[in-house]
Amino acid sequence: MPEIYGGFDSKLRLYIYRHFLRKGRAPSVAEMAKGLGSRRRQAKAALQRLSQSHAFVLQENGELWRAAPFSAVPTAFPVQVGERSWYSNCIWDALGIPAMLHKDARIQASCGCCNFEMGLRVKDGQLLDHRGIIHFAVPARHWYKDIVFT
Amino acid sequence: MLLFRSEQHVDRWCLLWGRPRGGTLTLHQGWRLAQEWYGDRLSPDWRPKTVEEAEAAFARIGLAGEFWRLAG
Repeated sequence: MPEIYGGFDSKLRLYIYRHFLRKGRAPSVAEMAKGLGSRRRQAKAALQRLSQSHAFVLQENGELWRAAPFSAVPTAFPVQVGERSWYSNCIWDALGIPAMLHKDARIQASCGCCNFEMGLRVKDGQLLDHRGIIHFAVPARHWYKDIVFT
Repeated sequence: MLLFRSEQHVDRWCLLWGRPRGGTLTLHQGWRLAQEWYGDRLSPDWRPKTVEEAEAAFARIGLAGEFWRLAG
């Protein structure tokens, strides 16, 4: 197992998720450093290590872009849980938010071809809507060569 | 990974983007995949799945074959 899943990196990983959950948005690198009582340089280095797992993706400026299943930037996959909402990265991640939180959710999805509205609901651990299909354009072993397209 | 109304809409999207058709899942499979992938993400002990664990998760929800292979 990589060493990044222990110590400071593990604390940072959980801090990021908890920040998304509490505030509905990604923490900045400055907020991460302050929240964990560390130097900004230490937080940046840990983020780089976390991004090796592909669950975390950074923007060119070093700030967080994606902490799967959450997106740090607006997307076409908003997910509402109670009074809170988050953006996810794709339909898999949109379903991943209620799966991760073990909560009921509404997903404002639409057809990737024609934008036809296809809202989905998760309730009591079940997906209530089953119309539609999910398409993966990229074979599994190539997913991380271009994660944005994938 | 996108959601589509029907197989025909997948084909139309592939034509528009000049892409070969990829792999498809039912929404039920997609929900099970999300549970497999993200169900334990908030655990302090979480770590990324190994290739073998990920392929086993795919197999549990009926995703088999070359398209879903991670190794190699």
